[in-house]
Amino acid sequence: MLYRVAGQFKTSYKADYALFPVRQDAWLLTFILLLAFVVFPMTANEFTFRALLIPVLIYSLAALGLNILTGYAGQLSLGTGAFMGVGAYACYKLVTIFPEMNIVVAIALSGFFSATVGMAFGLPSLRIKGFYLAIATLAAQFFLVWLFQKWAWLYNYNASGAIQVPNISMFGVPVAGPNAKAITQYYFVLGIVCVVTFFAINITRGRIGRIWKAVRDMDIAAELVGINLMKAKLLAFFVSSYIVGVAGALFVFLWRGAAEAELFDIQLSFRVLFIAIIGGLGSILGNFLGAILIVALPVLLGVVPRMFGLPISSAMVEHLNIMIIGALIITFLILEPHGLARYWQIIREKLIIWPFPH
Amino acid sequence: MQTMMRMTALSAAFAAAAAFVAPAALAQDSLYVPNLSYRTGPFAATGTPIMNGQRDYMTLLNERDGGINGVRIAYDECETGYNTEKGVECYEATKANAIVTQPWSTGITLQVLPRTNVDQIPVLAPGYGFSPMADGKVFKWAYNPPSSYWDGASMLLNYVADGDLSSLNGKKIVLIHLDAPYGREPIPLFEKYAAEHGFTFLPIPVGVTEMQNQSAQWLQIRRENPDFVFMWGWGAMNAGALTEAARTRFPMEKFLGIWWSGHDGDMAAVGEQGKGYRAVSWNVPVSDSPLMNDIRQHVIEKGLSQIGNQSELDWVFYQRGLVISMMAAEAIKAAQEEFDATVITPEQMRWGLENLNIDEAKLEELGMSGMVVPFQTTCANHTGHGGGWIIEWDGSKFERVSDILSPDREVIEPLEAAEAAKYAEANAPWPANDECSL
Repeated sequence: MLYRVAGQFKTSYKADYALFPVRQDAWLLTFILLLAFVVFPMTANEFTFRALLIPVLIYSLAALGLNILTGYAGQLSLGTGAFMGVGAYACYKLVTIFPEMNIVVAIALSGFFSATVGMAFGLPSLRIKGFYLAIATLAAQFFLVWLFQKWAWLYNYNASGAIQVPNISMFGVPVAGPNAKAITQYYFVLGIVCVVTFFAINITRGRIGRIWKAVRDMDIAAELVGINLMKAKLLAFFVSSYIVGVAGALFVFLWRGAAEAELFDIQLSFRVLFIAIIGGLGSILGNFLGAILIVALPVLLGVVPRMFGLPISSAMVEHLNIMIIGALIITFLILEPHGLARYWQIIREKLIIWPFPH
Repeated sequence: MQTMMRMTALSAAFAAAAAFVAPAALAQDSLYVPNLSYRTGPFAATGTPIMNGQRDYMTLLNERDGGINGVRIAYDECETGYNTEKGVECYEATKANAIVTQPWSTGITLQVLPRTNVDQIPVLAPGYGFSPMADGKVFKWAYNPPSSYWDGASMLLNYVADGDLSSLNGKKIVLIHLDAPYGREPIPLFEKYAAEHGFTFLPIPVGVTEMQNQSAQWLQIRRENPDFVFMWGWGAMNAGALTEAARTRFPMEKFLGIWWSGHDGDMAAVGEQGKGYRAVSWNVPVSDSPLMNDIRQHVIEKGLSQIGNQSELDWVFYQRGLVISMMAAEAIKAAQEEFDATVITPEQMRWGLENLNIDEAKLEELGMSGMVVPFQTTCANHTGHGGGWIIEWDGSKFERVSDILSPDREVIEPLEAAEAAKYAEANAPWPANDECSL
């Protein structure tokens, strides 16, 4: 009923390959964007911005970057945290060396640094596959974090060894640093996430995306039909690391405000990988769903007892939290191994035939 | 499965709705003192006794005196697990009503420090955080009484040199430290001293992931054969270093730690073998003090404490927790008197922290004589530089073995001023405290 596709005729190939062949999808997206751009900013308080909305967006972006590499091109990577670090440190150096540089430009450029580094560490993918490649990217993870600690130039020789985000304004409005308002930062992050997601959707469903999928499903077959594996794999590393780098720069500049090298350790890589896997590999929507589950749900669960004044100590809340989230992840994966995005697909299919199932 | 999904969706929607409403408004007649605690995670063993102490002191004030000047203290913990990400979340969740914030981990302090200037909430970071925070003219909202890490480093050096630093000439000192902002903190000062007094200084970092396996570091220490080893360790690193030192038969009398490395719980792992290990500390447990008797009577016996084992009451860290909460409570008292108010604002709390005067008489009055070094803060001096004592492990507990040591302020001050200025410049426009005329 709600999702009735009957009567929506396609009269040309163009219409058939449109971003939203079903009209209801476009409405749903409009509704979500309306929520994100209008409703949330009007109702949210600072805690909601800083602890829920901004982190969910940034983690979604990082997972999106990883998903392009792992979900679309089939190259397993455990170096996401370190590539985020490259983006963050590059942005920090750019902003401190050229203080008059626009922050958007700095973030966009810092993505290129992590893309280059990512491509360099992606070179082994030409010879090794699967778990062996994961180990090679693991080397990137450890090497880069070590570099962030030891190369004092990266953090401007600060005594604490940490990078601290200075006050940065854009057109007179502070966007990064302690003076920035949460709502400004939210809109800034939302804008970048929307642009990158739009780009990612189109690249993955176009020619390049199909090349990646062919490589993922069977690289020998892909090579036989004339796909240049080296180009395809390295391009996947490049695009993926670019997005991850941008996410890393946003992570530190628009959210955390300060970062030590240890922040970008293997834990962060795993966290992003979990988001991508639980959300659904090979899907764009999945990254957002995964981030909501992994990033936002613990925060929400932590707030509930405080809201109702339940006499549970905060340490106990934390223990409960870990147990609940763990149980949820296992349940979701048992019920639907293809992730949350697949859930949405099933729901959508059911809605289309509802109320007359075959 | 459908019901389950509906339930999940419903509860998620409910929780989401809850988060969008402003955090629960607290009753107006209480003082909200949040603490970003860590009773979980890799540092829980060291965090828990401190948090217990902090909590029990506030419970005592509420139970025995009905709060401070009739206003109850709403002491609240927000669990971070020493995780910087949780730290931001907790800071944001608690800041609306907070009169003071206690960030713990140096990483969280780094993130929170610039924001407190904008949110106008004082940071109480006793014995940790940045050493340059002592400069109250730059760090208007941050307080780290009664001693900073640089004070600690200076006291340790003076203690091993018997007050005559030139006697260190030609000696070799190793610093085994956690490879994190906290552990790197004293290095600039040690380097400055080394250059001045002609001793060799060698920092040996221990990564967070190798805290429990320090054989490589101790092999290096054995090869270097230093005259003294200082330790800036935390959590599992302390016990790791001590076991390794005992195993390699490193003489304990050459091994000294900062106050966060003087934890009874860590020493239990080595027991008798750790005999002779010393640490500098600004608090010493005095288990028969009037305060401890009150704690036993009003908190422990009523079952209001979260303490696991009665013997933990005598720990250095538990009593340090009491001392830390005492500082917050005394600042509240000072502010209440100055502004003639019972429920104070964060701005007034800042004044209170700036005018703390914890002298011998005050400690006597609180029943805490000898439990903490006397100190006094001013608007220009946010640390107080009360100094510290040396405590020594006798195989089962820590004993005080020295009089109060004082740091070389004339050596540290220029370094503090320079680092504070550097911080302010990197974070420009940084609001300085111009009202301070000292």
